[in-house]
Amino acid sequence: MWEFVNYYFIPGLVLGCIYALGAIGITLTFGILRFANFAHGEIMMSGAYLTWTVMAIAAGAGLTLHPLVAMVPAAFLVILLFLGTDKFFYKPFRKEDTIKVVMASFGMMLIIRSAVQMIWGPNQITFVRGIAKPNATLSEITSNMGLQILMPNKHLFIFAGTIILVMALGYLLNRTRIGKAMRAVSDSPDLAHVTGINVDKVINATWIVGGICATAAGVFLVMDTQMLETTMGFRMLLPMFAAAILGGIGKPYGAVAGGLIIGLAEELSAYPWIGDTPLLSPGYKTGVAFAIMVVMLIVRPQGLFKGRSF
Amino acid sequence: MEAYVGYFLYLLSLLTVGGIYAIFALGLNVQWGFAGLFNVGIVGFAAVGAYTYALLTTAESTFHLGGFGLPLPIGMFVGMVMSAIVAAFIGLICIRLRADYLAIATIGIAEIIKLILKNETDITNGPRGVNKIPRMWEHFSEERFYSSWPMSWFGTPENWEAFFDKLPNWYWQPLFAATILLIMYVIYRMLERARTAPWGRMMTAIRENEPAARASGKDVTRRRIEAFVIGAAIMGLAGALFAQHLRLIEPTNTFDPAKVTFLTWVMLILGGSGNNRGAILGAFLIWTIWSASELVITGSIGLISNIFSTLDPSILQTRAGFLRMMLIGILMQVILQRYPSGILPEVRPASPKADNNDAGSTGETK
Amino acid sequence: MKNTLMATAATLLATSAMADVNIGNPMAMTGPIPDLNAPIAAAVDLAAANVNAQGGMFADGEAFNVIRADSACDPVAAVDAVTKLINVNGVSAIVGPVCSGATIAQAESVSMPAGVVTLSVSASSPAITSMEDGTDLVFRAAASDAYQGVALAELAIANGMSDIAVSYANDDYNAAIAAVFVEAFEGMGGTISANEAHEPNKASYRSEVATIGASSENLALFSYYGSGGITLMRNALETGAFANFIGADGMLSDELIEQLGAENLMTSTFTTSASDSSTPSFAAWQAIADEAGVPAADPFVANGYDATFMMALAIEHAGSDDREAIAESLRAIASGPGEVILPGQWAEAKAILAAGGDINYEGAAGNQDFDENGDVAGNFSKSTIVDGAWAAELIQ
Repeated sequence: MWEFVNYYFIPGLVLGCIYALGAIGITLTFGILRFANFAHGEIMMSGAYLTWTVMAIAAGAGLTLHPLVAMVPAAFLVILLFLGTDKFFYKPFRKEDTIKVVMASFGMMLIIRSAVQMIWGPNQITFVRGIAKPNATLSEITSNMGLQILMPNKHLFIFAGTIILVMALGYLLNRTRIGKAMRAVSDSPDLAHVTGINVDKVINATWIVGGICATAAGVFLVMDTQMLETTMGFRMLLPMFAAAILGGIGKPYGAVAGGLIIGLAEELSAYPWIGDTPLLSPGYKTGVAFAIMVVMLIVRPQGLFKGRSF
Repeated sequence: MEAYVGYFLYLLSLLTVGGIYAIFALGLNVQWGFAGLFNVGIVGFAAVGAYTYALLTTAESTFHLGGFGLPLPIGMFVGMVMSAIVAAFIGLICIRLRADYLAIATIGIAEIIKLILKNETDITNGPRGVNKIPRMWEHFSEERFYSSWPMSWFGTPENWEAFFDKLPNWYWQPLFAATILLIMYVIYRMLERARTAPWGRMMTAIRENEPAARASGKDVTRRRIEAFVIGAAIMGLAGALFAQHLRLIEPTNTFDPAKVTFLTWVMLILGGSGNNRGAILGAFLIWTIWSASELVITGSIGLISNIFSTLDPSILQTRAGFLRMMLIGILMQVILQRYPSGILPEVRPASPKADNNDAGSTGETK
Repeated sequence: MKNTLMATAATLLATSAMADVNIGNPMAMTGPIPDLNAPIAAAVDLAAANVNAQGGMFADGEAFNVIRADSACDPVAAVDAVTKLINVNGVSAIVGPVCSGATIAQAESVSMPAGVVTLSVSASSPAITSMEDGTDLVFRAAASDAYQGVALAELAIANGMSDIAVSYANDDYNAAIAAVFVEAFEGMGGTISANEAHEPNKASYRSEVATIGASSENLALFSYYGSGGITLMRNALETGAFANFIGADGMLSDELIEQLGAENLMTSTFTTSASDSSTPSFAAWQAIADEAGVPAADPFVANGYDATFMMALAIEHAGSDDREAIAESLRAIASGPGEVILPGQWAEAKAILAAGGDINYEGAAGNQDFDENGDVAGNFSKSTIVDGAWAAELIQ
């Protein structure tokens, strides 16, 4: 029982948190700008690289920064990167066929990845050295309660960070003017336009929110794997799309739920539900997200949370 | 003298691979240029065609299923059919999806196809792949071909062996390139006929104004599936040719979406989507740039590291490989923004009013 | 127009180096294993530098040039890159492709039909052994997995492991060696308690590790350290699913110590082709590599040096850079009879060859004697952590 919780369920949730944060940006872009941003994974990856660079520079000056602190300046740079790509590569197509901007984002994906590979080199970079043992205090407290929960500190940070970000996002979308405007544009762009919402401002806000979440997702991912490499963005991209579609396009909470479900499904697919062998050969693990995505597209394209269905 | 043979052979290899990519681009043109279907799963169909061809035509092997040793044309034909069947299956369930959804679905399905090829080790030899795939013309000099019919009717194995020994060892290369160009030309002619036929005009109508086409009683879904399947069959054939060119296929790196799917898309967009000649032109142009850019980049690294002796050439070399990908990405952005309809824009099939009312074909809105 | 320009540029590039000896070196700078590739490429360059520093090629000291291209571990890129090397750059031979798939594809598609010798630095797939049919053009300086898998199985038995769980990355190299290992281990009476592929480059392998970890406390891990191997090992250590680890050379790297910490690797043993400093060849290599700052014991780095050095010896032995004579010369310089030549002894070898003598190259990664298939039998060493660094010890 506790083996299931510690080795399958919690890792699934960790992965799910990362997918969820990435999927928030994708679902907002999809809902508000109406295109599937293929470059999102690479933005996430560059956020992690920038965070590492900030930490390395600080270390050079004798400062040890926690990734969650170093993430803040990195997120600013990522937002600038987002706004820059939007201005130069996506905006020219705003009035045209969606397909063009999707292709442009596909091109951006390759450009950003190649740029990162040229700047930082293709080799792996160590993010945090060593292995992370379970947090002793937590396991002591839980074992006093008759539970055996084993979680390293990095996972506690990831959970806490995700919860804080999702709550902040909830506040933004429900309580602030710009957040409400974002929801309005996502629900019905024409109506939003008629009511005098400044669409450009909403678009910029979307990139800012997406950029913060993407940086966080990238940093959480490298906190978990403890190393950086340049294809990690692309490998996360399809599961994040799957999460966004599963949750319903344009629904940030849907994306969170979708991310958690996809993360859990990937990890639990290798659990020996029947007999001793994994339910699904781990070689097919990557396919779980794709399969969920394709099935959702066919069966219920509006997603679990009744998102936009085109 | 020797060097010129080398350049000639390199030119032939550019024509060979360019021709294969041109066939991919023609297949994509049916789906995207004619019918407006955003297929980002080209690798999936290529892999189906390539693997079918490989398993059917290789000599019997303990590594993978069969090695059925069938004649090459049968392998290519069945490769096409298999790819078409897979496409029909996908088309039946996915074709009604909107463009970006179809893109995401096809990219996901292509990844699932690759995973199956990778994990069903008994059939495909898994990640180690299938090798010794026979290549057209070259295969005649393999013993298992010249010692069996129909070649054995025309000479004994010894005679054949002596005959092939006399030929230069690259004899097959011009023939292989010519065959690929011929296949490309035949497909081109067929697609040109289809484009100007009522079928092609109907496709344009559906792409441009679906409700109107539907209202005038066209079976939109059926036509779309048709285009999807025909395009996929052509891609399957190109996949079979790809397998012949490489002689070894494996699921992970051979069928890399960035190099198959993405390059094909850039080719079609550069050449002009909707225009078959544009697809061909784009394919040759982009492949030549892609392949020759390595020579130029390698050369310039030598130059740069001679001038700036403090730079470490090995780091430059390691990273220059990525520059190519980046340049192709930037090239695509430039084309998309500056020349949205490509080098050869789409020409509407003969319609008297086409000339003065030409706006709107795939984003020509200025 | 563009074509003409490119062709002109290519001609200029090719002709400028015409008087020297050129060999092609398709490496895998991009693609899935850039980490593994970088030190191998450095070793190739180091070998060429040694040759040129000690008198170059032939009597008039022509330069020995390594023309590098990118095969990206990918058959498509490899075929294209080698086509250019052979036809445009006009290289005499190929020292090269890192991955087995790329090696087979470029050999079958380009270099064998063109009659050019390929000497691979690290392709270890058993399929290469049976690839050729009547020709003698493909060699490799790395032992086939058929040998290393068996050596590893023997090591596991010798370490007292009667049961073991196997996890391998689903790529051409690791799947092949895992299959050999499983067969050999079971043949020696061991029990394979679980045998699962894992998809390379995933963010988390905790569930895989937990599932196969239930059956045994020994793990045989076949993976590249750079594409998921370290992550899997980290997950296994964090969850405590396994006590002992063994694996092949894809995992052996200082990067492992760098990322996981030596204190966590005390129960790990990885094999690699002989990197034992007790042999004079390896000691010679280690001295050269340390001086040049190349990691001597990283996977296939010694093989990269050997392959390049042997190719230079073969061309020197043949007396010209014609493609035809190289295969035969390669066999002649690699095995006895003859004066033993160690890594870096170019001047000595050159003098003996000039005097008409025979040489026998004993490489950094083994004796490098080719059998009739162009394979080398490997010596293998096992590496364990001693004082915070990998220490190799020869196994028989």
